[in-house]
Amino acid sequence: MPVFNVCLKIFRKNWLSVSIYVVIFLAIAILISATSVSDQPTTFAQKKARIAFIAEEQTPLVKGFRKELSRSTMIVALPDQSEKLQDALYFRQVTYILRIPKGFTENVLSGGNMRLEKTVVPNSIENTYVDLNVDQYWNLARLYATHEPGISQDGLVSRLKANLSGTTPVFMKTENAAKTSDSFSMFYFNFLAYTLSAVLIMGISTAMMVFRRRDLRMRHYCSPLKPTNITMQLLAANLLFAGASWAVLVGFCFLLDPKSIATINMLYFLINSLLFTGCIASLSYLISTVLKSLNAVSAVCNLITLGTCFISGVFVPQEFLNSTVLKIASFTPTYWYVQANTKIAKLTHFSWDHLAPSLYSMLIMLAFTGAFIAVALVIGRRQQATN
Amino acid sequence: MIIHVKNLLKRYGDLVALDHLSLDIKEGEIFGLLGPNGSGKSTAINCILSLLRFDKGEIEIFGKKMTPDAYESKRNIGIVMQNVAVFNELTVYENIDYFCGLYVHDKSERKRLVEEAIDFVELGNFKKFHPKKLSGGLLRRLNIACGIAHRPKLIILDEPTVAVDPQSRNKILEGIARLNEQGATIVYTSHYMEEVEQLCSRIAILDKGRVIASGTQEELKAMITLGEKITIEAFSINEHELQQLRELSGVLSVQWVEKRLVIKSGKKAGSLEAVLDFLKTHEIGFGRIYSELPTLNDVFLEITGKQLRD
Repeated sequence: MPVFNVCLKIFRKNWLSVSIYVVIFLAIAILISATSVSDQPTTFAQKKARIAFIAEEQTPLVKGFRKELSRSTMIVALPDQSEKLQDALYFRQVTYILRIPKGFTENVLSGGNMRLEKTVVPNSIENTYVDLNVDQYWNLARLYATHEPGISQDGLVSRLKANLSGTTPVFMKTENAAKTSDSFSMFYFNFLAYTLSAVLIMGISTAMMVFRRRDLRMRHYCSPLKPTNITMQLLAANLLFAGASWAVLVGFCFLLDPKSIATINMLYFLINSLLFTGCIASLSYLISTVLKSLNAVSAVCNLITLGTCFISGVFVPQEFLNSTVLKIASFTPTYWYVQANTKIAKLTHFSWDHLAPSLYSMLIMLAFTGAFIAVALVIGRRQQATN
Repeated sequence: MIIHVKNLLKRYGDLVALDHLSLDIKEGEIFGLLGPNGSGKSTAINCILSLLRFDKGEIEIFGKKMTPDAYESKRNIGIVMQNVAVFNELTVYENIDYFCGLYVHDKSERKRLVEEAIDFVELGNFKKFHPKKLSGGLLRRLNIACGIAHRPKLIILDEPTVAVDPQSRNKILEGIARLNEQGATIVYTSHYMEEVEQLCSRIAILDKGRVIASGTQEELKAMITLGEKITIEAFSINEHELQQLRELSGVLSVQWVEKRLVIKSGKKAGSLEAVLDFLKTHEIGFGRIYSELPTLNDVFLEITGKQLRD
């Protein structure tokens, strides 16, 4: 297999220019993996709000309330100074400031006004839990006080404690619920499009252009090797290179985030990236038939990889991109690859109905692959006839 | 016959590149295809190797019809292209090994052949060099090694010495002669008549896609009337004396160029003696005298009326 072996040698020769892309990719991937939240909760846990608790009276009932509240919130100690409290809210040291006014306990026990003062960060989900706990505690306190007249505050506190100590178990009905949505895996596989494109175009186009040199092609035609044999050897070498590049780049994902391998989503990420590899390999082959100079490969490689990745949502999520840009991007395989990745990342069920949108994007990628091969073959035939 | 070409016709649109070309090349000879640039040498070679489709005619190599899929015949042909066809990405050794590997699959056999080829072109000190580091002459030698490493029975060399320094050219020509001594039949194309004269046992002269003359050197030179070319450094001579010289027996032409008399005489004319007698009788002072036998250029000139290197 002399052609196959020489093709591999040429790949090895070009490894330096290719490895630059891999190094940049890995550096960014490592950075992201170090900063990303790796442990997504798989069970339900109530989120604890950070609150400032200011009590203008220290009755047993208020003390009991504070104790009860500390079970479901994180109480941050702050001085009762308006400016400092406002600052704490502004810098999100706390999201909720609760003030118990003087005489509040008396009002509760005597059926008076139960108004509390609160200052909150708007649209905060965890504050809703605080509101629920506050309402629950004081409404229950009034209920006991109304139905058990003469009950002491300490007695009331112990009744409330017993009453509120119960918990409600929450079970997640959907296992592995969208574990990969907005996760490291999704980022990694999206960004993989850039590196994989660069590596394959640089590697395959360069090697194929060497074999397309007219004098070498003529020399091959003079040899007893059949043209189909030469083509098959080149194809095998290119597939090996593409497959090895894919395996290495995907392998890094498992090194950086070993847990990701356990999800079913990963299987589809792998299939999607493998199809993308095939598509870009065929595009690289096409590029080698069109380009005339080896020096142009690097420029064309950067233009194609960066251009398509920018408009297809590899670097910036597609939802932030202009609709016209996305329309243009839809004429590139990278767009469909990112689309499929995004859909796969959100998958929680893997029935046909749920998988269909992702598979549709993959099918379009396959169509691109077919088109690239067909155009490359037509150009190749024409060049052969011209020569 | 190793190569039999009959009535080969190749057209590029209206241009006739090969005009009913016929050639017969025998086993063991060094056959020269001589002609100016554009005479159809490379086209003929490309047709013979089935690299080009032709319009008419027939080509046989080793007694079998030559077609693009005549792989058995191709196995015994070595080709050295006009353009150096090597991989810049591979070293000298790797290049020769690769091209030899297209023909020879056995690894140990190939290793031996590659080493022999390297010794043959004297590139032993450059085995690990990449082609870009080699001079033009060394590169041509590498090109030859790539073409002959598999020990073919027939070697076709298409202008292998273009843009090569004289020292490297001599080495290449010596090497080709040695290949022939080892049993290979050689087809050598060139527009350098000196190379063809030095190397080839039989020659075909091509012009405008046609063989205008073929045979051994002696046979070709016998075709023309020129027998000897005499050049004499003469200090002064008038038009009347020149006319008298032209009328001497056996003299074909006389020219007076830059104080040199160029006299062409016919075969077995013995003109030199008569010319010298004439100069002495007319007291015409003269210096050095050169006498040359006709060259292939003279053959080409007489047949076509133009210089070989036009």
